[in-house]
Amino acid sequence: MFENALQFVGAFVAFSIALVAYKGVRETSSSSMLRLAGAFVFLGAGFALQGLDGVGAFGSIPGFGVSIDTILIAGMFLQTIGYFLLAFSHVLDVVVSRRLGPLLILFPVLAVGTTSVETVLRSLSFYFILYGVLETALSYGKTRNPNTLLIASGLGMLAAGWWVSLAAPDIGLLTLLQLLMREVGLVALFVPVLKFRFRRPGDMLNAPV
Amino acid sequence: MPQYRTQGKIIADILATARDMNTDGQGVGITTLLRRGNVSYTRMTKLIVELVGAGLLLEETMEKASKYRISDKGIQFLQAYVQFEDFAQSYGLRL
Repeated sequence: MFENALQFVGAFVAFSIALVAYKGVRETSSSSMLRLAGAFVFLGAGFALQGLDGVGAFGSIPGFGVSIDTILIAGMFLQTIGYFLLAFSHVLDVVVSRRLGPLLILFPVLAVGTTSVETVLRSLSFYFILYGVLETALSYGKTRNPNTLLIASGLGMLAAGWWVSLAAPDIGLLTLLQLLMREVGLVALFVPVLKFRFRRPGDMLNAPV
Repeated sequence: MPQYRTQGKIIADILATARDMNTDGQGVGITTLLRRGNVSYTRMTKLIVELVGAGLLLEETMEKASKYRISDKGIQFLQAYVQFEDFAQSYGLRL
């Protein structure tokens, strides 16, 4: 039940970020914003699919013959694409370093040692988030923007949650812990959206560029 | 590792110069834009043509040279740019 709620919170957060990023694409024609929007659309779709599956939404559709496992894996696959796009955005961004780029290829190679599709997708997501944490933390080192540190911490919590779910998938207390970690991580990702929404247009008239 | 400016950042720098250096209200010359914008003359002239065409800069032809002022649309672009730059930076990216 709590996991389903988490999926819907994740979908809400991801789609909110995607919406702001899409607005950024329209107003500034920025390719970074386009990649960010794309990544969070995939993440949002993945969260939503898993959340809907968890509440049995697909079972009520007549003639919908796809198994629960297939839908869950589809949701995880979409999330993995989202995390990959998020990590890939950093590789394309020359501000930090392209030297870390090969890690993005190396990590997945390490993940493809397991047999279960679900475990492979979880491992890939974990690695991509971890890469995002690394790049975002490095970016904070350059910009000293507190929000960047917050996002790095949020991604770190998400990564830690994924790691716990990989290391101990079916232990009650740890399951709750990993859900809480992911929840805190998602809330941290949402903070820049809140700041964006509540800023008055007049505040930026004399802002330095 | 050098930090290259994106096209958006260069445009934002030019617009900010046109806004901030226009102290007498008559606009700024291309020399000021070049000095603050930190791009070559050839590139600057191309950018100015694009910015004037897009309605972000207003061109006023004087006796000897043209002067440039930021338009309302340019101010709106700068506002959006600053806001989205901060948003992108939050996620460790550049606009």
